[in-house]
Amino acid sequence: MALFSVFQTTFLLALLSLRTYQSEVLSEPLPWAPESLRVFINSTHQCLHLQWSVHNLAHHQELKMVFQIEISRIKTSNVIWVENYSTTVKWNQVLHWSWESKLPLECAKHFIRMRSAVDDAKTPEQSFWSNWSSWEEVHVQNSLGHDPFFVFPKDKLVEEGSNVTICYVSRSQQNNISCYLEGVRMQGEQLEPNVSVFNLNHVAFIRETGTNIYCKGDQGDSIKGIVLFVSKVLEEPKDFSCETQDLTTLNCTWDPRSDTGLLKQLSQSYTLFESFSGKKTLCKHKSWCSWEVAPESQEMYNFTLTAENYLRKRSVHLLFNLTHRVHPMAPFSVLFTDVSATNATMTWKVHTTGNYYTLLCQVELYGEGEVIQRNVSVEVDGKQLFGGLKPDTEYRAQVRCANANHFWKWSEWTRQNFTTAEAAPSEAPDVWRNVKSVQGHSVVTLFWKPLSKLQANGKILFYNIVIENLDRSSISKLLSIPAPANGTELNLDQCLYQIHVTANNSVGTSPASVIIVSGDPGNKEVEEERVKGMEDGFSLSWKPQPGNVTGYIVEWCDHPRGPLCDLQWKSVGPTTTSTVVSSDAFRPGVQYNFRIYGISTERVPYLLEKKTGYSQELAPSDNPQVVMSNLTSRSFTLSWKDYSIESQPSFIQGYHVYLKSKAGQCHSGSEKAVLSDDAVCCKYRIDNPKQKTFVVENLQPESFYEFLVTPYTSVGEGPHGAFTKVTTPDEYSPILIRIILPMVFCILLIMIICYLKSQWMKEKCYPDIPDPYKSSVLSLIKSKENPRLTIMSIKDCVPDSIEVLNKQEGTRKSLTETESSKATYLYLLPTEKSYSGPGPCICFENFTYNQAASDSASCGHVPVAPVAPLSQLGLLTSPENLLKALEKNYMNSLGEIPAGETNLNYVSQLASAMSGDKFILPTNPPEPALCSEYKMQMAIPLGLASPPSSGSSSLSSVTLLDEGEHYH
Amino acid sequence: MRAQLMRRTLPSLVLGLLFLSTPAMGSCLDKYQELLGQLQKQADIMQRTSLLLDPYIQSQGLDKDGLKEHCRERPGAFPSRDALQGLGRWEFLRTLDTTLGRVLHRLTALQRDIPKAQDLETLNRAKQNIRGFKNNIHCMAQLLPGSSETTEPTPTDPGTSPSPTPTSDTFQRRLEGCRFLHGYHRFMHSVGQVFREWGESPSRSRRHSPHQGLWKGTRRMQLSRKNKRLLPRGQLPR
Repeated sequence: MALFSVFQTTFLLALLSLRTYQSEVLSEPLPWAPESLRVFINSTHQCLHLQWSVHNLAHHQELKMVFQIEISRIKTSNVIWVENYSTTVKWNQVLHWSWESKLPLECAKHFIRMRSAVDDAKTPEQSFWSNWSSWEEVHVQNSLGHDPFFVFPKDKLVEEGSNVTICYVSRSQQNNISCYLEGVRMQGEQLEPNVSVFNLNHVAFIRETGTNIYCKGDQGDSIKGIVLFVSKVLEEPKDFSCETQDLTTLNCTWDPRSDTGLLKQLSQSYTLFESFSGKKTLCKHKSWCSWEVAPESQEMYNFTLTAENYLRKRSVHLLFNLTHRVHPMAPFSVLFTDVSATNATMTWKVHTTGNYYTLLCQVELYGEGEVIQRNVSVEVDGKQLFGGLKPDTEYRAQVRCANANHFWKWSEWTRQNFTTAEAAPSEAPDVWRNVKSVQGHSVVTLFWKPLSKLQANGKILFYNIVIENLDRSSISKLLSIPAPANGTELNLDQCLYQIHVTANNSVGTSPASVIIVSGDPGNKEVEEERVKGMEDGFSLSWKPQPGNVTGYIVEWCDHPRGPLCDLQWKSVGPTTTSTVVSSDAFRPGVQYNFRIYGISTERVPYLLEKKTGYSQELAPSDNPQVVMSNLTSRSFTLSWKDYSIESQPSFIQGYHVYLKSKAGQCHSGSEKAVLSDDAVCCKYRIDNPKQKTFVVENLQPESFYEFLVTPYTSVGEGPHGAFTKVTTPDEYSPILIRIILPMVFCILLIMIICYLKSQWMKEKCYPDIPDPYKSSVLSLIKSKENPRLTIMSIKDCVPDSIEVLNKQEGTRKSLTETESSKATYLYLLPTEKSYSGPGPCICFENFTYNQAASDSASCGHVPVAPVAPLSQLGLLTSPENLLKALEKNYMNSLGEIPAGETNLNYVSQLASAMSGDKFILPTNPPEPALCSEYKMQMAIPLGLASPPSSGSSSLSSVTLLDEGEHYH
Repeated sequence: MRAQLMRRTLPSLVLGLLFLSTPAMGSCLDKYQELLGQLQKQADIMQRTSLLLDPYIQSQGLDKDGLKEHCRERPGAFPSRDALQGLGRWEFLRTLDTTLGRVLHRLTALQRDIPKAQDLETLNRAKQNIRGFKNNIHCMAQLLPGSSETTEPTPTDPGTSPSPTPTSDTFQRRLEGCRFLHGYHRFMHSVGQVFREWGESPSRSRRHSPHQGLWKGTRRMQLSRKNKRLLPRGQLPR
């Protein structure tokens, strides 16, 4: 286009030059030159509007003319635009022409001039250019205010992606001005000393309130700016479509795409124009518009949808036949009549869309995963019969319609639900039993599976159980178990029973399930086989039975470790000898036991095979608790008898015994193993899972060992947890013990014998002087419950009278005042003269001991055996004689005490020295007197505690009472 | 975005609740201290830039370095704090009422530069708050003495107040709006301080004793209620 323009301009210039030459030659001015040229400025649109006229045209004369317009910028020689404007000029016509400047007009001076030429075939002789008009200067800067600088263009509206030129005009050339686009500095180029321009290419949409572009002087106090309104590009509406539901109103819709609304520009508007009728409507909504269908029978419609904003227009067209754009309304009044267990009739109504339209309706019925679809032609009312339905089933029906003649769109669905009536259960319940013998009776637990929805045909209300005794056919029993029970327990005798189980709903009874139960559970001993579980369960197979069987049943527990076994079973036909048992309850590491029963023709189940296995074997999580025994210097024994191999998460294949030692050498029967912690040890392998003892041999004495027993399975062994530590004893210790112990025993025996011998020798040769306080007699007395009897202590007793013999100073002293250094002899004399009677028998009673005194602890009546020091005894008489005498007296005194007879008993009194009884010296051997009741009284020489100090000591002798004084 | 909306909405709601006690009931509080406290709270809330200035800056794209610093109040656009403090109470209230009337008018003019409905809603809510505040000023004026002698009709109708000179230059108008809102929030801050001073020195002016005013105000309130129907809405009584 530009090339063509340049070519045309060149051609015209050449032509005009020729014409100019001709005119000059002819020296005649062109009669139709442009005159009264005026230039107007539109700063908002950056437009220059030119206005001029052509004079000298005759009235009603029309002339085709060409006007050449030149526009210069800054100076006249800088021509930036040349354009030839061709038009037909009439008489007295004012001509207009506009030019939009890329550069804001305020940024630079513009100069405009024009000339004309006739381009009319009617006047070919005038086809040469006129003279140029004078230059018209446009200088907007003159009208600006007094601000130091300005930025242009103001509030320009452009489309996204456009190129925009911005400039600032400064009053002073010295101003250092920086310009920014949304805070980012722009780099411009200087157009004039006080004008700089900035070219923005492909401007982007930032916000609806426009893009801020501003400039600041170097002082920073003044700021000037513009807002550039960048609009999104108006797009063509998409998916323009029109349709009618009632043939009276057309509803046209479209996708408006992006909104081009800005602060300065409203959102785009939409106009709908129909070309056949010539009608036009301004749409109130952005994405749809209503159009009233003409009352006359206009079938064809040609719509033009125009989207328009400030900058652009976009249009789309649509031509259609009204009858082909019928979108019926959804059917209504959907009802179901004559609903039985298997049949139902559906009716519905449709909105009329004219007198001659037939609708095609689509009916769908959903129930139990099935879909029934029917197409029905409808004018007013629709009807459809559905058969073969399932009893007691909820169905969802839906219907929609479309124009049968010219399909355009289906209507919306109208939905309705209904439920068919119940019917009697169609299948017998699946029944199984568990028989236990308890005290001669059979406890039969019957289980049945609830019927599926398809089998139940309604809500199961109860189960009927008929028990028939086959041995005594006349006896039968009926039980009714309300649903949703799935089992019951029966106590039966050892007879043969036939049990019928039926399920019942409100309509009827199911076929009976029959099972024979006898006292014998039929659990014969069969060998258990191992099976390997798979992802989807256990694949079980069994040998076909030679006899007639009516089927097989596989039985297992879903929760074998739980208290409730949760018995499960699976029935298969007589020709099937394998099945896959799967259950959501199967867990890895749990052992499941399966029993396979055959059902005989008499309906008696009997055990065929047993299987056991894991759905997934897991490595043992625990090791056995090991007990160590028989520890010697060379071996020890390990045992783990409490370890149960049945409750493990996999089949135990054996055990590994790990033994760590410092030596690190492994003997035969073991192999070296490296543990996870890089420790090296010896591993013994036990392949028999039932062997739960192991003797570790070939050990070193006084060595430290660690051992671990762990089970191993096909999926691995138990954890290598803590090892048990053991240290073997010294090898010689047992031998030494065997020798030393008898030796010690022998030595001890010899010592005991020696001791006994020495005791015997001691008793024989130099026996101990008895200590009366340690005599067993005391305990004997105590045992006779006479606690008052005790040995009197001299110091605690006040003598009735003391006669001092051999008095040197003639002064009487009390017993307590006697000095041990002097040989003093004390005689105890009775104060009372009474006695039992004359005669050889003297009864000496001392009433000092009253009740109160006897109770005091310091005056206990404890019989004390007389003790004599060995030194003196040896001098006086032979030990034997003396002992005998003492014992005799002592015994006699004991014998005279009537234990418990009276409260006050006389007990042999012992005149004791202050220092105690230890040195009591019998002054006189006991008199062998007949019937004498006198208890030996011993006067203790006070000076016996110390060796005799004078020669009179040789004369000293213990003088008992003077006989004359005693025997009155 | 949601938090921002909350920040904008919450103070407005609080303000609304504060206003409920007087204008919505159609009668004035006759307790001086209570009314003064309410005016203080309202002024404290209205001084928050999150109510008007911040959303305006963001919607107009003025939140850029180099632009923000030009969004400062023009000297003389609003009475300074010193000027407000130097006024007598009655003069202060009248100045406040007049200024807020001007603010209402200017906010209406700003609406055309706000395309988003959400921002427009914020602006309208702010205008309602100002109207409520003006009503409370009216009530306070009733409690002050000498109002009958000095009261002049204070035009609060935006249509009758002097209109600002709008410029056709969108950028300049944008900056002016920003400066105006900045001045408005500063002005409300000063107003709050003046009201606070009123509370701190209740007998600052013997001529404007609150007790006296309260007494007189109560009497005048009764009178004003009688003539209430005759008063144009939003205008101070003569």
